[in-house]
Amino acid sequence: MTPAAAADLERGYRRWLRWYPRSFRREHGDEILAVLLAGAGQGRRRPDPVECLDLVRGGLRMRLRPSVPSSDRSTRRALGLMCLGAALELAAAISLLATVDDVRSAVASANPGLTDGEWHAVVAGHIEPTALAACAAAGLWLWLAWAIGRGHRWAGIAFAVLWCVNTYGLVDGLAGGSAAYARGDLAIAILLWLVQLATVATLLAARARRQPLARR
Amino acid sequence: MQEATFLILTALAAGSQHGYGIVADVAAISDGRVRLRAGTLYSALDRLRLDGLIEVDREEIVDNRLRRYYRLTPGGGRQLAAEAARFRSNAAAALARLGLA
Repeated sequence: MTPAAAADLERGYRRWLRWYPRSFRREHGDEILAVLLAGAGQGRRRPDPVECLDLVRGGLRMRLRPSVPSSDRSTRRALGLMCLGAALELAAAISLLATVDDVRSAVASANPGLTDGEWHAVVAGHIEPTALAACAAAGLWLWLAWAIGRGHRWAGIAFAVLWCVNTYGLVDGLAGGSAAYARGDLAIAILLWLVQLATVATLLAARARRQPLARR
Repeated sequence: MQEATFLILTALAAGSQHGYGIVADVAAISDGRVRLRAGTLYSALDRLRLDGLIEVDREEIVDNRLRRYYRLTPGGGRQLAAEAARFRSNAAAALARLGLA
């Protein structure tokens, strides 16, 4: 391989290695590059597309997957629960938007004089913001799960604080009599609260299991 | 355990190896059926290190390039032995039922 071809190939590989997190590149970048160059055929000037795809996949995996050992089952279970919570939030948003006509019929039967303008105000003022909030909450569940999986302690604390806020909101809603007029909302809120509770308990169990090991 | 992971641990069972050495050894062990690519290899190595099944043995600079050698930990050796025994037991059962044992 001519020096110019080798330099071109190395530059190409380095470009694709940018898919990996900076810290991983700092520790393993040159090592991976050595493997790539050793496996490259004579005279190659550009990375093979299959190799590029493999580097993209590897880089994304390194960015997204949790840095939690397989032996730490409690933390992995908590991350699974958080993904379930995100899925439930998304399901709630989708079902709310998919059943908007049913909601209109129910509102119209309770308020026979409902005009189109009033209904559009309900959609814009309540239904769409609620669906958007559920999507944002799903994103928050996933983001915190990612942060906990990467070992950020603040994320576990933030999740516990959110659970406390959610508990207060739920109790406040129940005391305000929301169960009497929004049974569907209440059911999904209780389900999500239970998933949060299970997540917080599992995270605490994982922490309790790690601490004696750290003290040794 | 995935086949690539099993083959990487098998490659390291004979002694420490660097990245490209593992790629070549895995290809040889699998009769060329499994060709590990760099991205796949380093994802697997990172996961195996996290799980405490392998560790860095030493580092060398060859032709101005870093070579990091990996080796099995005692836990990695135990896990590989357990997986190999499981495969052997399953293979024996399959061969016996096919009348090939």
